[in-house]
Amino acid sequence: MNLGDLSAIQPELVLVALGCLLVLTDAFVPSLRSRFGSMAAIGAGIALVVRWTSPTPGMVWSGALVVDELARFVDSYILVALVLVCVMAEPYLARTNARFGEFYALLVWAAVGAMVMAKADHLLVVFIGLELLSVALYVLNAFHRESSLSLEAGWKYLMVGAFAGGALLFGIALLYGASGTFSLSALAPLVAAHTLTGSPLLFLSLALILTGVGFKLALAPFHAWAPDVYQGSPTPVTTFLSVVPKGAALVVLARLIAFLAPAELSPRWTMLLAAIAVLSMTLGNLVAIAQRDVKRMLAYSGIAHMGYALVGLVAFGFDGLSGVLVYLAAYTLMNVAAFTVVSAFSEAEDEPHLLTDLAGQGWRRPVLSLTLGLAMFSLAGIPPTVGFIGKFLVFRAAVNEGLVWLAVVGVLNSLVSVFYYLRVVYYLYMKPLPKREPKYSEPWPARLVAAACAVGIVVLGALPGWVVSAAESAARTLAR
Amino acid sequence: MALEGFLLSALVLTPAAAASLLLLLPKDAEKAHRWIGLVASLLTLGLAGMVWSRFDPSNVAFQLVETRPWLPTLGIAYRLGIDGISLLLVLLTALLQPLVLISSWSSIHQRVKGYVFAMLLLETGMLGAFLATDLFLFYVFWELMLLPMYFIIGVWGGERRIYAAVKFVLFTLAGSLLMLVGILYLSYLHKAQTGAWSFAYEDIRSLTIPMGEGFWHSPQLLLFAAFALAFAIKVPVWPLHTWLPDAHVEAPTGGSVILAGVLLKLGTYGLLRYNRPLFPEAWERATPLFLWLAVIAIIYGALVSWAQKDMKKLIAYSSVSHMGFIILGLFAGTVASTQGALIQMVNHGLSTGALFMLVGVVYDRRHTRLIEDYGGLAAVMPLYTGAFLIATLASIGLPGLNGFVGEFLILTGSFPTHPVAVILASTGIVLGAVYMLTLVQRVFWNPLVHEENRTLADLTWREALAFTPLAVFMVWIGVQPGTFLRLSEAAVRHLVGGGL
Repeated sequence: MNLGDLSAIQPELVLVALGCLLVLTDAFVPSLRSRFGSMAAIGAGIALVVRWTSPTPGMVWSGALVVDELARFVDSYILVALVLVCVMAEPYLARTNARFGEFYALLVWAAVGAMVMAKADHLLVVFIGLELLSVALYVLNAFHRESSLSLEAGWKYLMVGAFAGGALLFGIALLYGASGTFSLSALAPLVAAHTLTGSPLLFLSLALILTGVGFKLALAPFHAWAPDVYQGSPTPVTTFLSVVPKGAALVVLARLIAFLAPAELSPRWTMLLAAIAVLSMTLGNLVAIAQRDVKRMLAYSGIAHMGYALVGLVAFGFDGLSGVLVYLAAYTLMNVAAFTVVSAFSEAEDEPHLLTDLAGQGWRRPVLSLTLGLAMFSLAGIPPTVGFIGKFLVFRAAVNEGLVWLAVVGVLNSLVSVFYYLRVVYYLYMKPLPKREPKYSEPWPARLVAAACAVGIVVLGALPGWVVSAAESAARTLAR
Repeated sequence: MALEGFLLSALVLTPAAAASLLLLLPKDAEKAHRWIGLVASLLTLGLAGMVWSRFDPSNVAFQLVETRPWLPTLGIAYRLGIDGISLLLVLLTALLQPLVLISSWSSIHQRVKGYVFAMLLLETGMLGAFLATDLFLFYVFWELMLLPMYFIIGVWGGERRIYAAVKFVLFTLAGSLLMLVGILYLSYLHKAQTGAWSFAYEDIRSLTIPMGEGFWHSPQLLLFAAFALAFAIKVPVWPLHTWLPDAHVEAPTGGSVILAGVLLKLGTYGLLRYNRPLFPEAWERATPLFLWLAVIAIIYGALVSWAQKDMKKLIAYSSVSHMGFIILGLFAGTVASTQGALIQMVNHGLSTGALFMLVGVVYDRRHTRLIEDYGGLAAVMPLYTGAFLIATLASIGLPGLNGFVGEFLILTGSFPTHPVAVILASTGIVLGAVYMLTLVQRVFWNPLVHEENRTLADLTWREALAFTPLAVFMVWIGVQPGTFLRLSEAAVRHLVGGGL
């Protein structure tokens, strides 16, 4: 092992040390607890800077990890999400009297897990990353110990996570049986030499891996856990859960598709992925209409959004992959924005976050409401927001690959989604204030995160050049 | 010289810049909000005037062109340009906006900041959609109009405003999302045929789009349908018009004026700008269908108008009828009929805009729009009566006013190619006179039976100020249509290709 390779994983090292520091500080200097949020956010920010200053040598650690531009893009996305979540978590923890170092430490370590997963070339390293991510999240979901909903969320995520992890591991084992290798990039020459063509073991293993990843992405029909877990988990954890694991899992799927080219092995794979995408979009959007709890609504909207993102992977190629990456960046901003505001608009965390709580707030709390409105428009894919750019790129990839029908299904789904996204705006701006005015706190961190996301949504929507070209150079590592 | 490089951008972005300025002001500085809105829209009007003065009507290419890189790897750029087809509509938009702000000076009292903000953003969207020469940019501006209008109807509208606002959004989006797929497919075709990505209007226009066999296997027919659906919903072409009466009735006066004055024109503009030149064979195929839909819209809209009890609803349905004439002119496809359709878009914007504004005037005083609640206003409000009469006569096409020019050109231009449709459509003119004059009769000349009408105040100077420019243009176009027709003639001749 070459010690010089350590320089490639400096950001991970920073985060691991940060997590240890937070836990130790909590034990020995508990008076600093009110500073943990900013410490974690600054630490994650440093990791982000380190990511962009440290080299991207490609394959390191004898092929365990690939630190390339794709990894850098995904890392940046995870770290930005982490910074935002750390900032928004501070007022939440203050309200629930749970300012513990573990919270941030687990969050930071979960992010390390996601980062490892996204840059792993060795399938067992993928699994290790996934477990690091998931185990940290099991605890975080149930962090709000007095709330039965939170405990239920932790328990559900644990059960489903264990099942998904098992499926993934079994799939990896079968893939090893079929191909004799754990390395994703070593699969490409085998595929090219037609050694794997028609292997039943391979198809079984792909199905199992897809199941495992599908659970993490909450794609239909592997989605049933999402609404309960989203609703029950502490809102900052829900935010993290709704963006970080999904990004990492999508990249794993992208690497698998790039090296294994399942479409060449069997065209049915494309149809299967397309069917999952259509099912996720349709089911997510239709069921979201019936939701009264905003967090549950966002859970179903998340299912639909992973369906849209999957459209990019179905099309694949350079366009599809860069589209998915932009989509992820967009999805992070709008989801963080939405959850931050929803959290600030609830009187007590253990109560449901009802749509009716938003009534008439638009004219009372301009910054938060405008952010939530923008997040909704962005989720609906209405220009000039970044959500539109993301959707535009994945649908474009589908059209360019001859999947016009998939793009049509996608846009019709967007139409359905507009209905429930606009309902949030309707409650905010067109409903009168309730007679008993709710007591909402509007702490500055929430406002800061909301404003940052709002600016991001609009600026990246109007001037997407920067993020698109970053995504394109990242996509170039896997596809031409 | 330097000014030409960003004149169109300045035109499009001035309202948006003023809107962002508004965000920085405190909520209760209502006077400042109104003035910023008015000054910005007047500035935009001035810029539009400069564009007019620099426009060369004999040049058929896009003028004052601006191109800035946006997403270069995808062939997307920020491209603006103006030609004879968009110039008139840009002028109309820039003219209506300050008038709307003036007319809502005394009718909008709540959330003034939000109202002015939405209006300014809407103006940017409308101007951008007329001036964009890149399909991606066009789509962005097209959708940008949606949200401000949603808010204008939903926040400042009448009783059933939520229903109307949501219906408006869903109808519009249903069309435009399919158009988005169409736009994507066009860029894909460009890549397939030339090897380069592009969303530029002129690049797309140079493509030959295959006709194929049957409907479902014909790229050109499908693309035509995707674009035409988006535009037909906006126009609205019968039977896609059902959102219009709801939106109009529930919208506040200013919203109705902009909706009827400009937003509907974007539909007909889109048909002329995109469907006709990009999909010529499909256009030929679709012509009979659209001609019949136009004739149905003309007669149906007029008959339904006749039956209305609510003044705003009456004018809303009359829009369906008038827009039918424009569709007829566009699809009849001669130079004269297309010119007529173009000038009629402006005419309809002026006269219907004026009518909605005037209905708003009495609504502000009496809070009712029912025709039966009025009567005998001619004696009480002489100035108002005169204004209403001018707008009515313009709307029904009295010679000497603008409506006559448009309808005459459409009908004479279409007659050589489609006599039957023209004969049927002509009944619409008669019906138009019937329902509009009945309205005038009942509101202004019937006996004054409601006591509360006896004390109604006549037009205030502000209301008169908002109406006067519209009246000036109604007469100007009516008496000297050449000034305006000349601007678009070369462009239309180039687009339609010879003929009459």
